[in-house]
Amino acid sequence: MTRLKKLLVALTPMGAAAYVAGGGTFSSVADLVEWARHPTRHAPAPAAPSESAALWRTKKALLLMMAIGAAAYFGLGGTFASFSAETSNLGSGISSGTLTMSNQVNTGTACLSMNGATQDNIAGCGAALTVSNIAPGMFGPAQSAKITIENTGSIDASKLYLYAPSVNAKLSAALTSGVAVTTLTVTPLEGPVAISDQIVVSFGGHSQTFTASAAAVGGATSISVSGSPLANFSYPLSSNVNDTSSNTSVNNTDCYDVKTQSPGTPGATQGSQLNFNPTTGNPFCSAVLMYVQETTGGTYYCWSGKGSSPQAANGLCVAPVSVTLTTGLTSGVAPTTLQVSALNGNVTSGNQITVTSGTNTQTFTASADAHIGDTSIAVSGAPAANFSYPSSSPVVNTSALTSLNSDTTDTISTFDTLHPVGGRIQLVPVQSNGVLNTNATVQLSHFNTGNFTRTFYVGLYLPVPAGSNQNALQGLASTFGLTWHIDQ
Amino acid sequence: MRPAGPLRSIARASGRQSSTWRLKKVLLSLIVLGGLSSFTLTSAFALLNGESRNIGSSISSGTLTFTNRVNLGSLCYSYSGPSSSGNANTACDALFSSATQMYPGTPATSRVTIANDGSLDAQDLSVYMPSCTAAATPTAPSPGGADPCAVAGAQFYIQETDSSFTATSCKYPAAAGSCTFAANTLFFFKSSANSAPTAFDLGSGPAHGQSRYFVIGMQLPTNASNALQGEEALFGLTWRVTT
Repeated sequence: MTRLKKLLVALTPMGAAAYVAGGGTFSSVADLVEWARHPTRHAPAPAAPSESAALWRTKKALLLMMAIGAAAYFGLGGTFASFSAETSNLGSGISSGTLTMSNQVNTGTACLSMNGATQDNIAGCGAALTVSNIAPGMFGPAQSAKITIENTGSIDASKLYLYAPSVNAKLSAALTSGVAVTTLTVTPLEGPVAISDQIVVSFGGHSQTFTASAAAVGGATSISVSGSPLANFSYPLSSNVNDTSSNTSVNNTDCYDVKTQSPGTPGATQGSQLNFNPTTGNPFCSAVLMYVQETTGGTYYCWSGKGSSPQAANGLCVAPVSVTLTTGLTSGVAPTTLQVSALNGNVTSGNQITVTSGTNTQTFTASADAHIGDTSIAVSGAPAANFSYPSSSPVVNTSALTSLNSDTTDTISTFDTLHPVGGRIQLVPVQSNGVLNTNATVQLSHFNTGNFTRTFYVGLYLPVPAGSNQNALQGLASTFGLTWHIDQ
Repeated sequence: MRPAGPLRSIARASGRQSSTWRLKKVLLSLIVLGGLSSFTLTSAFALLNGESRNIGSSISSGTLTFTNRVNLGSLCYSYSGPSSSGNANTACDALFSSATQMYPGTPATSRVTIANDGSLDAQDLSVYMPSCTAAATPTAPSPGGADPCAVAGAQFYIQETDSSFTATSCKYPAAAGSCTFAANTLFFFKSSANSAPTAFDLGSGPAHGQSRYFVIGMQLPTNASNALQGEEALFGLTWRVTT
């Protein structure tokens, strides 16, 4: 029926064409009406006799077609189908799910990837750690942080990655499409840029690669680019800027060193006043140790740091402990457990745990593993306390410190060069302590299902290597980042 | 692989043996592969992803520096001094001058203030005497020839005080309260504390922003030999703090 109607409608213009093309045949509508009532009386316009009759017949036929077509168009809907049946699948739709994540440092506000200013589901979240005024061998509460990664979307993430971001910044001056670019004005660079480095500016689905025409130090706020290329998009403020040539050596890592510009305590000296602490080669980044410990669901895996390679059987990174007794010890009484404030590091069975109060000190041997967050350490050997150590007495894991003090490989610089985006760590779900579930097809389940939240602790420690002072590391500040990434 | 209908007609027109035809077969294969992978290999291409970056984490070290002031002299900084190298300044004021000639039993003292101007607490303060050598007093016409650094030579003490230089404890030779001169003390000190590893321990501190105060005493023994006339002891004291 619909097909027929279409055919009839198609005849209408043919009829109209005939009417127009037959110029002079009807001089008015009245002529047409008269012709319709008495076609034989109508006097055709003068024409050659042989042509006239044929033309006349043709015009009548065409006019008829026009009338039929018009009627069909305006009024004959359904006229040609006496019986019909029809079904319609209306309202079909297709919608995409979401793959978003949140990143929470300690108990801070969760940072959402979808809120990234660059409209690309990449969020620049707050610093994981801000540690100042440290000395070698010192380990305080600020030197570790809990990071909770959560899938807030509706789609499972088949992959969860951790890697060192490339040297990066944000545009602090927008680019205009079609306008030549000679300099990128940026927020302080996290890391240095070398001449000829490839600098990618991106926003949403747009990106453009520039070539650095000069070196820029970490913290610099501009990058010169060569060739004066025209911007291919109007990149707004806060667009991502990444040096994709970085993280290949200690000299061009995302982690970079500067001399401190303000004192660690009011009125004290600061790095910029000292002449024996050069920043060349990022020595502080190359000295500070970092660990990444997963604790999701009470199972442990050391992803980076001492204990990761080879993986410790108990899945524990060597992570310093700096806590205090919550229950004092009684002189002459042998404790079986040390009650302590929540551990900010790990204890492996057999570790030496030292309690100090003033000039009094005593070392106990751990009889079982204790993990970050635990509030007690089981000790063996039943040595009687040699002093009544009050609560709040400092407790340290001297075995961990001794182990780390000779570690020169698990540094921030090493992490950056081993694990840039090309060497990213795939955070396979942990099956049991120190064991991965390599068959898992989902590494971060969609929101509110399975393992949609995973928990990590990141810690930093400046070791005390034997036999040398570390004056060259005085008054230095390292700045670095960590990237958490999920894929569909 | 047989081309699909439309492509087959193209093939007839151009000839299946032509290079164009072979190229078309390759391109068609690529299209098929691309289409298949697009629909099946989703994880490989990560069509959706999310990312968060903890940027700007920082860790900074503190400073451990101090000043050394002799009596009312100028401050001598462990760092950035004209002779400073590696946070060690060897150009601080002398404690005593050869011009102040000593007599047996007549002590000479100098006040030393060690102030921690760094941001870190000093866990330990120590002092040592790198050397002590005898020389003729520059203005003495006839040196006696004895060595004031040796046994029976000069006597020496290190008195800790409060900020007004009132004695609190005698550090060397160790005693409660005020120091007194004892025989052979310069010799013993330079013999036992003459390098960083063997430095004489003065205990913990000063904490950052704090100072410790000392009086250094020297004396020729009351029974000094004439052989010590016209002789001088040339020595230095090195103060050292560690975290």
